[in-house]
Amino acid sequence: MISVYYFGSIALVLIGLYGVLVKKNVLKMLIGLSIMETGVNLLLISIGYIYGRSAPILSEGIGPNQAVDPIPQALVLTAIVIGVATTAMALSVAIILYQRYGTLNVEEIRRLRG
Amino acid sequence: MNGQYASLLIAIPLLSAFFVPLIKGLGKRAIKSYVLMITAIQTGIAAWVFKEVYSTGKPIIVIAGGWKPPVGINLYIGYFAALFILIVAVVSFLMAVFNFKAVTIEPIDKYAMLFLLLMLGATGMIATGDIFNLFVFMEITAITAYALTAYNKTGEAAEASLKYMILGGIGSSFFLIGVALIYGATGTLNMAQIAQLAGHINPTVAQVGLALIIFGLAVEAELFPLNAWAPDAYQAAPHPVTAMFSAFVVKAGLYAMARVLYLMSSVGTWHNVLKLLVVMATLTVVVAEFSALRQRNVKRMIAYSSISQVGLIALAFALGTQAGVDAGVFQMVNHAIIKVLLFLGVGYVAVQLGGADIENFRGLGRKMPATAFGITIGAMAAVGVPLFNIFWSKLRIILATLQVGYTWAAFLVLAASVVEAVYYFRLVHAIWFEGEGERVGESVPLVIIMIALAILVIAIGIYPNYAWSISQKAGADIFNVAQYIKNVPLMGVGA
Repeated sequence: MISVYYFGSIALVLIGLYGVLVKKNVLKMLIGLSIMETGVNLLLISIGYIYGRSAPILSEGIGPNQAVDPIPQALVLTAIVIGVATTAMALSVAIILYQRYGTLNVEEIRRLRG
Repeated sequence: MNGQYASLLIAIPLLSAFFVPLIKGLGKRAIKSYVLMITAIQTGIAAWVFKEVYSTGKPIIVIAGGWKPPVGINLYIGYFAALFILIVAVVSFLMAVFNFKAVTIEPIDKYAMLFLLLMLGATGMIATGDIFNLFVFMEITAITAYALTAYNKTGEAAEASLKYMILGGIGSSFFLIGVALIYGATGTLNMAQIAQLAGHINPTVAQVGLALIIFGLAVEAELFPLNAWAPDAYQAAPHPVTAMFSAFVVKAGLYAMARVLYLMSSVGTWHNVLKLLVVMATLTVVVAEFSALRQRNVKRMIAYSSISQVGLIALAFALGTQAGVDAGVFQMVNHAIIKVLLFLGVGYVAVQLGGADIENFRGLGRKMPATAFGITIGAMAAVGVPLFNIFWSKLRIILATLQVGYTWAAFLVLAASVVEAVYYFRLVHAIWFEGEGERVGESVPLVIIMIALAILVIAIGIYPNYAWSISQKAGADIFNVAQYIKNVPLMGVGA
């Protein structure tokens, strides 16, 4: 059976992609990018999910056979950190853009071309 | 010496980047010398690794933390990685000299940090043996590259950085989806084990996963529909950074693409992906050459030329034959040399004469003869004039393309070379036969670097055999996946 999480995560990726491709405002594009990253993270987690098992933290009553796959969770932790770094970087560039161009509309930010 | 010391290649730039704030108080000169010293040490270690790998013929497998692969993450430094880590280190060192002598970038401390991290990211991408680790290093490279692109803080720089960031963000998300699919199908992230299991998984899943990964890496590797950021970023970035982008950041992306591509070569539907790549690569060459023709800014023109040559390398890798991969690696080496030469020359002219527009190059032969000589050699080589290094690699790529039967691709690439000749000879003409000018002082170390690179270009052009034999070994390292699997000591789990 295909998990419902797969549909949810792909939907999030597509919503994010729509935001990046269609919106004109830089901030909205960056929000789209973040939504996309969230979708990818959800996909990773759901690939490691096994129905009825708990979080992969060794504690009383939870051994390797009662936990879900821990590797995707480690991956997602890394991917979240990377996503935060990218977003912070992008927002600081957006600040410079607003200072230099006085707008955040990508159609007006077009000095480099050709 | 133990091969495990090769892990210093990752550790030294990473640690030293975080020590930069500590020496900030000692002044700008101290920071510049520090970067120079670290890159020199890195070059030394890379040279040792290169010697070790090429003399013993065995790859160095660095096992992190004593955990054997596939449980632990390993570094795989084979023929290819040894060669390119050396190139990354040497180019970084040369650019550190350029920083030291000519470029003033403020604030220098953060720039030095990002500079070292960019070197680290590319080294890691080339050396790693784990596909998620590849993603992490790719993001380190990409985020430092975004920051360095925007470093001049002008509107143009921020605009270029934003374009790069949007495309890079989409690319890395797609890459991660591909990794998720492949992990879901194989249950491993180790590249050798993925190669081992690739033939056993559902071919549709493998094809989609591979296509998504290639799509993600194509942003870094500047292939046609995804390379709109590249000319902007090259133009807006500080001059040493542009040379580093062209010499090794894009190469790291290309290598990662070729490596993942050939790892999955036992998948039944593999040839569909190859065909897609051939089309993308050919379009990259053609579109970039025609865009270069229209440029007034020399830095942007050479950026387009760099993209077109990268397309040529991608074409060679997409052929799926041993001859193609060897030729691609050879072109990568040659391209790294000439693009460092060209961007160093152009950047130095832009620093000294206040801009990289074609007007600044009129009469350069009288103003800065040594630099003009370097740029001319680089331009002649880029066009593919015989007795210069690119001639041999272009020839081999075209022969390999014809062998596989892509006559149309070979024809388009040759036609694009004619276009390339037009704009490069226009530049050379402007340098030597137009305009007047007074002599401008040239920095001796930079002149020595340019002359040395020019001599290297001509030396490889006249005696291509040595460089070709190294490239063949490096190409076999990518192409021969069975050997790659055998070299990594998997713990006997899996298939």
